Order: sequence, then structure tokens, then C-alpha cells
Amino acid sequence: MTSSPRPDARPKLEGTAVYGVDLEAPGMLWGALVPSPVAHGRLRSVDLAPARALEGVVAVGAAELAHLLPGSTGDPDRPVFPTSTLVYRSQPVAAVAAPTRELARQAAHAVRVDVEPLPVVSDLEEVFPEWPGSSSEGSPHVAAHVRAREGDVEAVFRTAGTVVREIYRTSSVHQVAVEPHACLAEVTEGRWRVRTSTQTPFGVRDDVATLLGVPEESVVVEGTWVGGGFGGKGAALLEPYALLLAKASGRPVKLSLGYREEFLLGRTTLPSVVRMETAVTGGRIVGRRVRLLLDVGTSLPGRDFATGFSIGFLLGPYRTPVFEVEGYAVRTNKPPFGPHRAPFAPQCAFVLESHLDHVAREAGLDPLAFRAAHLWKEGDTTPLGQRVGPFGLSSAFEKARATAARWRAEAGPDTGVGVAVGFWSTGTGAGGEARLRLSPTGLAVVQGEREIGSGSVLAGVASVAARATGLPREWVEVTYEDTSRAPFDSGVFGSRTTGVLGRAVEEAARSLLEELGHRLGGSGPVRLAVESGEVVVERGSVRRSVRELLSDAERTAGGLVANGRHYGKSGTIDERKVEAGTFYPYTDFTGAAHVAEVRVDRATGTVRVTRFGAFHDVGAVIDAATAVAQVEGGVVMGLGTALTEEALWSDDGRLLNPSLLDYRIPTIGEVPPIEVTFLEGFPGAGPFGAKGLGEPPMIPVAAAVALGVRDATGAHVTELPLSSERVARALKLL
Amino acid sequence: MASLDLVAPASVDAAIAALRTGAPGEVAVLAGGTDLMFDIDRGRGAPKRVVSLRRLPWRTLDWNGPTLTVGSTLPLRALERDPELERRHPGLFQAIRAVGSVQLRHRATLGGNLGRAAPASDLIPVLLSLDAEVDLVGPRGSRSLPVDRFVLGSRRTALAEDELIRSVRIPEPRPSVYLWQRVRPANDISQIAVAAAYSPSDGRWRLSVGGIPPRAVRVPEAEAVLVSPSPTDSEARAAGERAARHLAIVTDRRASEEYRRHLVGTLLERAVRSLATEPKVGR
Amino acid sequence: MTEAPGSLRVNGRTVPLENVPTSERLLDTLRWRLGLKGTKEGCRSGDCGACTVLVDGVSMLSCLTLTHEAEGSSLTTIEGISDDPLGRAVQAAFERAGALQCGYCTPGFVVALVGLLRERGTSASVEELLSDLGGNLCRCTGYVAIARAVELVRTEAP
Repeated sequence: MTSSPRPDARPKLEGTAVYGVDLEAPGMLWGALVPSPVAHGRLRSVDLAPARALEGVVAVGAAELAHLLPGSTGDPDRPVFPTSTLVYRSQPVAAVAAPTRELARQAAHAVRVDVEPLPVVSDLEEVFPEWPGSSSEGSPHVAAHVRAREGDVEAVFRTAGTVVREIYRTSSVHQVAVEPHACLAEVTEGRWRVRTSTQTPFGVRDDVATLLGVPEESVVVEGTWVGGGFGGKGAALLEPYALLLAKASGRPVKLSLGYREEFLLGRTTLPSVVRMETAVTGGRIVGRRVRLLLDVGTSLPGRDFATGFSIGFLLGPYRTPVFEVEGYAVRTNKPPFGPHRAPFAPQCAFVLESHLDHVAREAGLDPLAFRAAHLWKEGDTTPLGQRVGPFGLSSAFEKARATAARWRAEAGPDTGVGVAVGFWSTGTGAGGEARLRLSPTGLAVVQGEREIGSGSVLAGVASVAARATGLPREWVEVTYEDTSRAPFDSGVFGSRTTGVLGRAVEEAARSLLEELGHRLGGSGPVRLAVESGEVVVERGSVRRSVRELLSDAERTAGGLVANGRHYGKSGTIDERKVEAGTFYPYTDFTGAAHVAEVRVDRATGTVRVTRFGAFHDVGAVIDAATAVAQVEGGVVMGLGTALTEEALWSDDGRLLNPSLLDYRIPTIGEVPPIEVTFLEGFPGAGPFGAKGLGEPPMIPVAAAVALGVRDATGAHVTELPLSSERVARALKLL
Repeated sequence: MASLDLVAPASVDAAIAALRTGAPGEVAVLAGGTDLMFDIDRGRGAPKRVVSLRRLPWRTLDWNGPTLTVGSTLPLRALERDPELERRHPGLFQAIRAVGSVQLRHRATLGGNLGRAAPASDLIPVLLSLDAEVDLVGPRGSRSLPVDRFVLGSRRTALAEDELIRSVRIPEPRPSVYLWQRVRPANDISQIAVAAAYSPSDGRWRLSVGGIPPRAVRVPEAEAVLVSPSPTDSEARAAGERAARHLAIVTDRRASEEYRRHLVGTLLERAVRSLATEPKVGR
Repeated sequence: MTEAPGSLRVNGRTVPLENVPTSERLLDTLRWRLGLKGTKEGCRSGDCGACTVLVDGVSMLSCLTLTHEAEGSSLTTIEGISDDPLGRAVQAAFERAGALQCGYCTPGFVVALVGLLRERGTSASVEELLSDLGGNLCRCTGYVAIARAVELVRTEAP
């Protein structure tokens, strides 16, 4: 296990790192979006004239698109500007640009949007107060429907020893990166160029090309440093508007969101209602029914992945012989559901762990032993029929239990300890390509997407390149190119970067060493090393400098280039169990077991987490400091989901707390001591057997805290977040 | 950019005169400005003229025998860091620590907080329990008002359009405590807060509750239960219950009525109990 | 009736205020007029601390400060923080402790911590210092490494 220094540290510490918000170009205009004034309405007209009357203002709406994008159709399901119906508040209806930010804001306010309000659907329980069942067939409120089953769960329920039925509710949470979205666009020489703060430059390129209806090669995306992504800076958000304004004005256009807009336009985890039913006989789970209602905002039918993907986290990581699982993605008048770190998995873990803990207690069983007895192990089959690969969760769980027992023995009054587990799968995206360039002065990894902060690129990918070639880590650097020059990669998300892109780097390294081997002659393994201040190639006792092995052309081009490609492979599920919709198999199985010691103020319901332990099945640690940092950051973010974060929506589809005062993320004083333990030896899909670590640390946190509260006080809270008022109610104080 | 008529008069008379040259509702006073910035950002309803007090000699703090006089434009952090404050006015110290962040408190002022009279102000409940007085100055001279006659409602005070808050006077050191309930412990607004103090000079308790609109209030029904400097646990509980019963409380998105009512009772009881064993004289 | 504006100093340089609109925030003057983009724009509502600067050595939120209110003052931003050994010590401690990931909150934290160390003295306890950093939000690190940096600075500060 090694840790490498971060080359991005100095520019960030000195304030010279340029983020999207910092972008500037001579002659640039500032853009602003014109928001829909209602959450649902028939659009009668958009009058841009009052904005255009202001000096220097350029305005674009639906009417301008034919002129700005001649011959293109865009995506009929996702028009850049709506023409008939508005479906969520703040939905961009038009966009303006002006010489100053203040004027752009004024111009946006000046645009007259004439709307006939329509009834707003804000709460998914308004749409489906009861479980929908077959009555929802063909309902316009349903964006997706998934169902799978094995056996006859009703029959099992009838004869089981104990059947426990519960309803859980979870809230909407927002990514809250400290840097809001921002980009700078310019259209020159037929190219749509945009510099933007993004986790996925190629994803943005493809999105923009689709939305604007222009060829992919005509779109060039360059990433800047990113001030936090957490899933919220994946798909294109501002770029299409900035580009249209740039085309219309002939000038560079900067679009930079205020933080209120950041909340209002955010695409993230939305509320849910989950019905859990579990039957137990003789200490074993004999049947389960899971029913998920997930608010997906204005996600389009057929384009929702969340329900089928997330529902797996309400089933696993537990063995269940007989089950029925069903999910509805319910449309409401909110922005579309979007990925938040470990999308919806923390909420699922909270529901599942709290429920199974409750089931055990109702059945008179030890809650920890009960769960341990059903945890997946390698070789098991998931409920959906996929074989479980190397999986360290049981080991992690045992370690967590031992820690919990120790802490419980030392615990003071009103203090309890909760143990919870979760699992994840190293993401795949569409795969990755890596490019290495070797010169006498070092090895460069040529990248499209930036290091977004986690270290997965600068430490993870770069470490893989070093390990795969033998070069000391300091001799590997990462360089960035825009999408017209960089190799394609899906982006930094889904805990996939070190895993999938890392494998592509391994491939590229293999290809590089093979080529060098040909040039060297002889046989045996080829490695890179450093001698007399330059890079050398070694094979057995033969050693030549890279300088000697390069051709003139290669020397001019900057070095010898090698490419590698990797597409993550998922397993397969048993489609016979699927009755509706799409479910998702996993690429590997990453386990996480967390322990939370909490102290509860029994008179107010206030919960403080006083100690935390995180046990992670990581396959292999690529960079120790990066790995620890991911767990620390993910745990604290998870504490926010557990205790204080909640986006509140009104009946008329308005977000009531779009500010960092009223939407509360953890501050430095709320962080308990966090012990991090890694379990290696259960290899995953990544290089050297590594498993993705960006998201797993988020997943069991809320569950561990909730179970700690139960252990301390007996209070059983079935809603997230565990606000002091909810805990007070569960304590029967009110 | 819409330009703001910003003036920073060098004398109190000039400042008062500057207030009088604007139309009613169009002039605002800038002390620390941490609340005013939001008003300025508003399109309609933004002030057209802003009178900055930064040049006035009101960044002062004087201990005069038992009385503490705080100049209205002294940054809260300066008051917080005064070596005597925590010892002599622990409740006020705790309340100041509850306001925003250190960076905010380097600009926010006592005068500004009082002048804004936000229902969730952390300082007003304590000032009520300390019997603080607000010193005003205007074209008609000076006058003083006790805080509960200065703060009239949600964002409404007795300050005339052409008056300024010059200082806040706290008559005597009192054993005091400030307890609050919030979503997170730092950088937040209180859902409910209570300020308890015991006056050595008249032997009576002061119990105030804040965080419930329209404004922080004393709760005489609860104070009446406490008849000695060292109340018993059951007296403390009774005081809390009385306050919980008597106060007018509503549900809002920060907390429901029932939860707030419960918190009032709990926090008041706690506040009184924490002071019950404290020495009541000799600060 | 707006008065004749004066000037202020930023990282030792005098900056005249005559062309600065009175409604302009210090944050915007620093970033867009002076090109000092190290001070970050986060929430613009005083809740995140990313815009923290030192005004006469005292930490303030530049998003909530009118530039003209700082007239006559001497400002230090992240770009100038390394002019001083204490500033360099804080930066070095952050680097050694790995106390930054995306780095967006970092300038605000560094400047806030320098201000605190000056205000409370370098012998202030770690608890005291951490209790005064609640106004700086971080979403990446979970603050754990930042707390380690605070400890490091205390033991090594000049």
C-alpha cells in the first residue's frame, strides 16, 4: 500500500486552479436562464422583447432554434426549450446573455412568460396513496415499472411463523458540491466548444450533440478543475444553453449558476415510499415482498434507470428463497431524478437494515446473528439469479460486530451502537480507453476527464500506470486534453474510474511494454525503470534508454503512444424471474459494514454520532491516502443524509429550502472520530483486483445511525432523515 | 450595475441627516450588513440609499461598574472575545457563539441584530432576560427603551425612520444561560431557544423564549413558579410546563407546533436546573 | 450624494475604488476586477465560507461585504497568504495532511485558519480552533484531514 503526493495540491492551495466558475474570455457575455414560473402549465407565449430592449442583451427561446440549428431535430423527448407544456418550476424556458451578470439577471426577469397553470403533482403519495397495483396500468404518472418474483410469496406469508410489514419513507437529498455548475461556451469555425466543470466530458459532448442535433465531432468539451461532483456534474446541464447563446451572439458566453438555482435545477435523489414485508420461520427468512414507489420527478418514461437499479439494494445483500419485488417510478412536477453519490442506495440500506433489525426483534431473534446468517457469500446466487463473486462482506460484518460489542461494553448512558451493511458494484459506464505516452522524461497518462478531487485519476489511475510498468510513481504524470484529442472515457462516476479506466490503463501499459519488448529484442518480462535521470527499459540484464528506442517521428510527437481499452463486464441475471422492466446485474460485489455509536438526547430527540467505524471490502488498495479519504468523506456525507439533509417541496411544486442555510450539510463540529479498516483479498473488477470505492462509504451510514438510535433508546424511526423531531416522535415524547 | 447611493457619514449628526433625505422605506442602515446584503439583492423593494455607520465611534465596549455598554456597531466577535464577557454574562456569550460563523460575527453587530428584529434572533431572548436597554439617537435627541418595548414584532421595532441605535446597555451581571435547539450545532438558526437569568438585585428570575414568530418573549407565567434563587427540580419542570402551555406557537417548516411546545418545556426546565446550583452573587 | 471613494490595499497593492460601483461585493471586485480568482464563489449567501478573506487581518465573508465598506483597509486573499510564514505553514500543513480533495473550499479554510491563529494565537487548542471553523463547509474530505492539518499547524507554526 502506497500513497502518492498530489500534484493538484499546490495550485489549489495557492488559489491558481481554474474551476468552471472562474472561466473568463475576452468579450464574453454572461448568460442567465429564464425559469418556468409554475411547476405545471400550458405555455401560451414567451415574449423576449422586454429583455432584448435592454442594452447589449441577446435572447434565445424555442423560436430561435430553427435559425440557430438549421436542419437539426434534436431529441424530440427532450426539447431544449419547451413549446407546449412546462413540467417543473425553474425549467428553462429561454436563455439570455448580457455584458454583465447583473444585466443578464435583469434581462431574465424581464422576459414575459405567459402560462395557463395546470394542476401540480408534487407528492408521490398524492398520486398513489395506496400501493398502485394493476390500477396503474398505462398511467401517465408512471415512468417505469419493474417487477420480478420467485415462488409464491403469498403462500409463504400464510404459513410463516412471523410476518412483519412496515412502511418507510425517505427524503430528497442534494449533492451540494461547494462549487455550483458553470461553463464557458464559444462557437467558432463550425465547432461547438465548451469549457465546463464536469465529471464526464465525453458524456457532455454526447448529450450536447443529441440535444442540439449536431454531429458529435463538431462538439468539443474541455473539462476544468471540478469543485465537487457527487453525481451532479455528469450529464450536460448548462452547456446547451451557453452554446446556443454563444451561437446567437457570436461571442463567448459564460453561464454560472447561483446557489439557489443550483438547488432549483438540481437533478438528484427524490423522495420514496417503501413497503417491506418479511416472513420468518425458525430463524430463517422464508419470503419477502418489497414494494418501492420512487419519485422520479419529470424523468421520461423509458429512460429511468433508478427503479430497476435501486431495487436491487432493497433485496441484497441477503439470501431470499421466495420473493416478489416491484417498483414504480412515479412522475411528479419536479426536475428529473438524477444520480447522487451511490444513487438511492443509502436510502435502500436504511430501509432494509432497519426493517431486518425490526423483523428479528419481532421474531425474538438476535438482530446481528439473524442478518449475518443470511448475508451473501461468494458462490451464492442473488435473488435475481446472478452468481456472487468474491465478496468480503461477511468478514467485514464480523469485524464490525466485534467493534460494536467493544463499544457497547464501554458505552455511557443514552448511548447505543448500530451495525449496518451495504453493497455496491464497481461501475462500468460505457467503458474506457486509456492512452499512455512514454518519453525519456516520464510516462504521461493522457486524459479527457479531470481529477475531480477524489484522487481516482491523479492517484488511482496514475498509480496503476506506475505499478503496471514498474516506473516510480513520481515519474508518471496525468495530462488533460479536450474531447477532440483525448481518448474516450465514460467519466468519473459510478466508482468506476480506478476500476474501469484503470484496467484500460493496464491494457495500454501491456501494449506499451510489448512494443518496447519488440524494439529491445530478447525475451522475458519488460519493465520501465529510472537511471541517470531518465527512463530506461529493462529486460533481464538488457537495459536501454527510452531515448534510444524512440524514432525521430515519435520524439517530435512527444513520445511513444500506446492505447488500451476496457469495457467492464457485468454478470447476468435470470430473466425468467423478471416480469416487467429492466433489472441490472453487477460487475463485482463490494461490501461495506459500518458501526455507529450514537448518543441520543432523550428529551429532545437530538442524535449525535460519537464514534464511527467503517469496514470496506476493497479488493486491493491502490493508493492508501486516497482510499482513506474516500471513506472519511463518504461517511460524513452519509451522516448528512442520515441526520440533517432534506429538500422540502410545497404542494405547488416549489422547493422550500433552496439555500445552504436551510438545507444543512454537516459542519466540522459534527464529525466523530472515524476508524477505517480495509479488507483485501476478495478481488473485484479493477486492476490488481481493486473494487470501486467512491460510493460504498455512503451506503450503510444512515442505517448504522438509525440502528444506533434504536439500540440506545428503543426508538424505531421509519423515515429519513432522523431529524430530532422524528426521533422525538418515535420516542413518544409528543 | 444598478448603483446604490452609499454614504458613510463621519458624524452622528451627518448620519441622522442622511437618514432624513430619503423617502420612507427607501433608506437602509448598514452596520455589519450581513442581513442587508439580501435586501440589496432584491429587485423591487431594495433600498435606494444606504447609510453606512462604519465611521461612527460606536465600536465600543465599556464595563462601568456592573453595567456593560456595547456600542451598536461593535462586531459581535469583539464582544464574544472580551475576557470578561463569558464570566459575567455567560448566557450572552453562549448566544453570541450561536450566531452564524466567526466570519459572520466579524461583521454582524448587536445593533444590527436588534434593528433587524428577526424572530429567530439568538441575541434578543438573552437581552430580554438581562433587562437590556437600547439607546437611540435621533434629531429629537436621545431616548432609551427596554428591549421588549423596542422589538415590537417580526422585523418591526420602535425605531423611527430617522433614528439610530447607538448602544445597548446591560445593567448587571447575572447568572444566565442560553439553550437552543437546531438542526445542526453550528452555523444554523434556532427552532427554539430559551434564555434564563437570575437577577441578584431583585431576587427574581427572567425566562425568555425565542425562535417562535413573531418575536422573543418573556414568560411571566413561568417566572412566577420560581420563588427562590435555587429552584428545585420540580419547580424547574413546572416552569417549563407553564411556558409550554401558555405560549402561542405555530407549525412551520422548521418544526411543528407540538414539537416546539415540547422543546420549550424541556429547554426551559434544563436552563433553570443548570442555573439552580450556580452562585447567585459576586460576579 | 455618494461620497468620493478612496482606495483599499489587496495583498500589499493599492486599489483605487473610483470605478467600483457602490453595490459591488468584495468577492466580485477581487475575482473580476483584480483577477484574484483564488477566493471562491460558493453560495453567495454567507453560509459556506468559500469566499473568506482577511480584512485588516480579520476573517470576513467577501460575498456579504460591499467593496466600499472595506475602504481604507488592508486585505489578504489566498494569493497573498503565502507572503507570511504563518500562511505558508498553514498551506504546508494542509498539503501534508492531505486536507484537500477537490480544493474548492480550501482557500476559504486556509484564510479562515490563518485569521483564527492570529486572533487566538498559535497556542489555541485544537478544539477551540475547530469550534471556530463551523462557517467553512467541505463536502469532499469529511473534515477529518482538515482537523489533522489544524493539529499539524499548531505543533509546527512559527
